Amino acid sequence: MFQPLNSAAQLGYRTVFNLFEWPMARAQRLVGIRRVAWLFLLPNLLIFGLFTFLPIILNVFYATTGSDAILLSQRPYVGAENFSSLLSCTDYLDPNSCRRDVFWRAVYNTGWFVVLQVGFMVLFSLITALILNRDIPLKGFFRGVFFYPVLLSPVVVALIWKWILQRYGVFNAGLEGMGFASVDWLTDADWAFFWIIFVSIWAHMGFYTLILLAGLQSIPSDVYEAAEMDGASRWRVFAKITMPLLMPTMVVVLVLSLIRAVQAFDEIFVLTGGGPGSATTLILQYIYETGFASRPQLFGLAAAASILMAVVLLVLTLLQLRATRSQAEG
Amino acid sequence: MAVVELQNLVKDYAGFRAIHGVDLTIDDGEFCVFVGPSGCGKSTLLRMIAGLESITGGELRIDGTRVNEQRAAERGLAMVFQTYALYPHMTVRENLAFGLENIKTPKDEIKKRVDDAARMLQIEEHLTRRPKQLSGGQRQRVAIGRAVVREPKVFLFDEPLSNLDAELRVVMRGEISQLHRRLGNTMIYVTHDQVEAMTMADKIVVLKAGLIQQVGSPLDLYNRPANQFVAGFIGSPRMNFMQMTVAEIRNDAILLKDDEGRSFEAAVSPEGVAAGDTVTVGVRPEHLEIGTERGRPVTVETIEQLGGESYLYCQDQSGRPITVHLSGQTRIKAGEEAKVFLPAEAVHVFKEDGAALERLRIGEAA
Repeated sequence: MFQPLNSAAQLGYRTVFNLFEWPMARAQRLVGIRRVAWLFLLPNLLIFGLFTFLPIILNVFYATTGSDAILLSQRPYVGAENFSSLLSCTDYLDPNSCRRDVFWRAVYNTGWFVVLQVGFMVLFSLITALILNRDIPLKGFFRGVFFYPVLLSPVVVALIWKWILQRYGVFNAGLEGMGFASVDWLTDADWAFFWIIFVSIWAHMGFYTLILLAGLQSIPSDVYEAAEMDGASRWRVFAKITMPLLMPTMVVVLVLSLIRAVQAFDEIFVLTGGGPGSATTLILQYIYETGFASRPQLFGLAAAASILMAVVLLVLTLLQLRATRSQAEG
Repeated sequence: MAVVELQNLVKDYAGFRAIHGVDLTIDDGEFCVFVGPSGCGKSTLLRMIAGLESITGGELRIDGTRVNEQRAAERGLAMVFQTYALYPHMTVRENLAFGLENIKTPKDEIKKRVDDAARMLQIEEHLTRRPKQLSGGQRQRVAIGRAVVREPKVFLFDEPLSNLDAELRVVMRGEISQLHRRLGNTMIYVTHDQVEAMTMADKIVVLKAGLIQQVGSPLDLYNRPANQFVAGFIGSPRMNFMQMTVAEIRNDAILLKDDEGRSFEAAVSPEGVAAGDTVTVGVRPEHLEIGTERGRPVTVETIEQLGGESYLYCQDQSGRPITVHLSGQTRIKAGEEAKVFLPAEAVHVFKEDGAALERLRIGEAA
């Protein structure tokens, strides 16, 4: 609603306007009114070019050159050797048979992680959204509670859970207090994998719950009333009304969470460091460690792996674009 | 086929009473229209009957059985919503079949009923389409069809025509009336449009602020409005109202005096008023006579000539607006002076509490 500004605010606005008046007028005179738009875009284009576009180009050069030299001029051209090195396996189902076994282990870990994390997270988000969409007491409070972890920095999330799960952490202290034996939550391969999935679901679920909740609320209530008059059972209302009408939102949530799961890194890196061994090493961590943390630094290999990952993400992103477009049209 | 009985029906929302004890019987096969201004509780009342709103107090009976606690679907009713409320992801056929599938009707029976309803409502060629691909009128037909296939005891309509354009509204009005004649079911219809109420209803229920103002046939309401609210609500353009004083009580009439000292006779029963009381006099625009000889002097402000009929918007000497409706055309021009006469038989008189005095010579009016 329009509210008349008080005189102090008006004065403030006018001062700011006057401040921009002169340089704006001058810029327009110099380059013409239409080209001023480019002037506004320039800073962003520069930043984008320098920090996004240029690295992408450089990445291709690194992926097709060898040695551990960092300057491109000192790196010999090797063609697709980095890619073939990454992709050479005698049995693709057995990482140990691959030349780059850690890469393949990371690929498999990421695959499992994506399937389980996305699957369960979407399922739990859906259930939570369905519950929060009903008339329950303290609805606002619970909506806040489920969204809260999304606001935390990933490192904070990981540190909180590390504090809970480590050998002498809160969880084990609790278990021992109740007379149970403590468990190596983060140093047992299976448990560690379970916990990286659990923690990343905990950290991101609120976001998808919120999207699904918005999707649920966009379903008109009169459709439900019509179904009630039509004598549909609760299950039939869910299966025949809610789910089909929520589908466009579900597709967006699925693709979005898939993309983010493929990119998972920070929480897991801080929580388990990829261990024990390489049990929780995901593809992004492999790239980081190959390119920067290991000696020698295999820039070429890391660049090639990141290009392979980019291809996967590109496919997922295109899917997402299609999904959002069909939702906008639907 | 069903009788719907409302007994002292009450609806409370948190700290607010929306329906104040409504008593009403809707007979088998009757077309009953709930009418009233926005917020009068007509939709709430319908939704209470439907089972979409809980009943706070009183009793709702359908064919003598108390249904207060029954779920919407168990009451044997079908409802047509204002927004149509079609299932957007289903085809027209699926929309029509959904209710029957819910009660596990055999497939061939569903097909037969859907086809019959589609034929009756002329939506056969749209059965494979989605609601989005249909026009407003077609959607409305599908919504009605969805109610028809379920063969309900009572049809409920919640302002079903308010989303249609004026022309289509007239067509659909006729079709719903025809549907009622053909099926013979009890129908309850909610509208804020008094033309719909007058043209479709066997029985009109006028509501205001959660209270029934009057129940009656359309002409009852027009001829014998129970109070000033009903008188103003039924009839278009609105009834003219003016304050007067009772000058003299006679046997079959009362003599009224306006603020300018002119006297009028009103053919109403004098029961409940005494000389000296202030009353409100109401005359419908179509019952006023306009000429140059008798009556109160007015200035004609605006004229709407529709060819077959004319509306004259006048002002009397105290600036009170008076609307006159004439059939046919008029030679009177805007800006002219004229005189408006109130025939005694056409005058409605309302006491200070709004209640009407009984009219004695209805039908003799011009």
